[in-house]
Amino acid sequence: MTNLFRKPQSASLAFMVAGAVWFVVGAVYGMFSAIHLVAPEFLPHVAPLVFGRERPVHVNTMLYGFVGTMLTGIGLHYVPALLKTRLWSEPLGWVTFLFWNLTVLSGPLGFAFGFTQGREYNEYVWLADVSLVVAVLCMIVNVTLTIMHRREPQLYVSIWYFVATFLWTACNYPLGNVMWHPATGAMPGLIDSIFLWFWGHNLPGLLITPLATGAAYYVIPRVAKTPLNSHTLSLLGFWLLIALYSHIGGHHVLQSPIPSWLKTISVVDSISMVLPVSIVVINLWLTARFVGGRVWSDPSARLVMAGVVWYIVTCIQGPLQSLPFLQRVTHFNNWTVGHAHIAMLGFGGYIALGAMWHTLPLVSGRPVYSQRLINLQFGLITFGLTGFFIVLTMAGLVQGTAWYNGETVVRVLPQLIPFMAMRAALGVFILSASIVGLFNVYMTLRGAKEPEALRRLEEAT
Amino acid sequence: MKMTPAFVIVGALLVFWASAFIIVGIPSLTMKETPSEIWRPLTPLEARGHRLYVENGCSYCHSQFIRVIDWGIGAERIAKAGDYVGIEPAILGSERTGPDLSQEGGEHSDDWNRAHFLDPRNTTPISLMPAWDFLSDGEIEALMAYVQGLGGKAADLRVKRQRDWKRQAVAAYAAGVDANIEWLHGQVPEVWRRMPNPYPATEAALQRGKRIYQQLCINCHSPIGDGNGPAQPHLSPPPLNFTILRRHLVENRYIGGIFYYQIMNGITGTAMPYFKKHLESEKIWDLANYLAVSFVGYTDANTDPRGIDASYEGGWVNRYLPPAVTPGR
Repeated sequence: MTNLFRKPQSASLAFMVAGAVWFVVGAVYGMFSAIHLVAPEFLPHVAPLVFGRERPVHVNTMLYGFVGTMLTGIGLHYVPALLKTRLWSEPLGWVTFLFWNLTVLSGPLGFAFGFTQGREYNEYVWLADVSLVVAVLCMIVNVTLTIMHRREPQLYVSIWYFVATFLWTACNYPLGNVMWHPATGAMPGLIDSIFLWFWGHNLPGLLITPLATGAAYYVIPRVAKTPLNSHTLSLLGFWLLIALYSHIGGHHVLQSPIPSWLKTISVVDSISMVLPVSIVVINLWLTARFVGGRVWSDPSARLVMAGVVWYIVTCIQGPLQSLPFLQRVTHFNNWTVGHAHIAMLGFGGYIALGAMWHTLPLVSGRPVYSQRLINLQFGLITFGLTGFFIVLTMAGLVQGTAWYNGETVVRVLPQLIPFMAMRAALGVFILSASIVGLFNVYMTLRGAKEPEALRRLEEAT
Repeated sequence: MKMTPAFVIVGALLVFWASAFIIVGIPSLTMKETPSEIWRPLTPLEARGHRLYVENGCSYCHSQFIRVIDWGIGAERIAKAGDYVGIEPAILGSERTGPDLSQEGGEHSDDWNRAHFLDPRNTTPISLMPAWDFLSDGEIEALMAYVQGLGGKAADLRVKRQRDWKRQAVAAYAAGVDANIEWLHGQVPEVWRRMPNPYPATEAALQRGKRIYQQLCINCHSPIGDGNGPAQPHLSPPPLNFTILRRHLVENRYIGGIFYYQIMNGITGTAMPYFKKHLESEKIWDLANYLAVSFVGYTDANTDPRGIDASYEGGWVNRYLPPAVTPGR
């Protein structure tokens, strides 16, 4: 057993497998939530499965459990690989794994029974917060020491993102979660919404985005077999991300009575986000220029590239919907739910899955069980998510314009039925995609080792 | 620019903390907690209800701030920073699958709220809210206390109005079914008590009225209008049995205006909410015609006094007029 915890890349593998498992768990809860929005009396009187309790399980398990965990596992591979060394301490990687997953596990176990701080994206109870911060600190130590022991002088852009992710999260998470108030995890009064949305938006922005960007920067040039297009663009993308992203949480409470100057900053910097996002996307696209076929014909790189496409879609839509004029009809309704899905599943999830399929053979020494199943997963998830985006955006516009023109919330509910029914049906595709993925991971790890992959692994480390 | 480890680590942290200072540091230093004119502290029971509200994720469907662009319940009072003093956490919410609750206190009677928590479809047949019947009675009471306190001092005035009128409504019901109806009719202003339904009760109009009845009314007043819907056991006084209105014709007709007024304004103190924010004129008159035709048997639609018919109304003949002699009297 001790051997397992010392085995090179074992922590990376553990994170990726856990991510695949959490994807299924999160998708199951998403499915229940979607059904409850069509049929509120589905499975009645089951306290842990009421919408108010299952929704945070879905959201947090997907964010931290699926996307966050899987992307961390990928980073634990590429960081040592790009530095031509090994992870400084594999056992410390496992400690990180333990504490990180304890936090994620506290979602389904805790929220279902009312153990939650109830603030959106900050729901984990204080002990789980502590566990997550411990995991993040362990990771910082491990990665920093790995960098110190590197045999490659240059730090590739993926490394910047990976290190910075955990540095930022170590500061960000305790701040947004108001960890100095253990009982509620909240500030008293209106100012809490500023702390809440500080982390609420930095979670996708400064945890998921840099992890996913780092993974895309790792996979795309490797598959394209070309060097990265531009160091300058990499630099710009990185520094603009951190300079702008942390300012924009206020656009979630733009119509509330928070100070006007804060609203102005949120809107201006939200719009400015188009810059770092376009820079990253352009940098990746130009890297793959003329060899797009190579990227697109590789099932795992196709997922990564499609994730990059979702990224630009999300990050053009996001800044636009921060505009007060547009928010009159897009706020408070399913438009935002659609946006959240293309951000987390489209951008973060696609890149996590694609990079995972790319990395899994390098880590396990086994070829992926079935490339066709990766293609199937891509198809299922793309159909499901594209449908989601269209259906939820339409539903949001129906709600938003009806409210704006004087219809009450209750009166609009019957109009949502067809959209919510379609959304639940499309959810089946996403749930299936998660199960196909987990099956493929399982069959891969069960399979025989392939000498060729082993050799590539040795080269990589 | 060469990205050395020290540069990446120190630089990333410096930029982060500079940003964080602007976005959370300055607000922490400058935002003041000044109570608004409607603010008051939560009672211990309300505070317990607030915990339940947070723990059960009510905030995922209910926002707690009214915007300048809002219509509907609570829209008279735009949220102010001072409304949230001391609430920890004051969850503003990001979705309105259900209505905003920041001014919900006293909008409905206690009975309505209890029936609604036990099964939201008791009071709102089209609701998507889960039933909270697995909570203990004490927890439901705490949640109700919290919801009835939303809106602070403004809510207290509304709740007081609800409870004052409930006493009178219960007394009227105790006096017997016919006396109850006399009391109910007595609360309708004189002009409305003479006003016939100005909309023709065409087949299409009755169908529209039926759809509204099924969406909003059916689980209190029941499919046959006898007031024995699934919500009935929770409500005091119970929902009105419309069929009794046959015994209360005035000048040999049942007055559409009475229905209209009571649907529009509700009967404060009872579980009958007002619908004037949900339904506009034609929808209420259609519903009134549906109630009259289906459960009373008659409607006074398009009878005198009447002015010039709207252009589409010509030629409609009222088939639902009572016989010349009132039955039962």
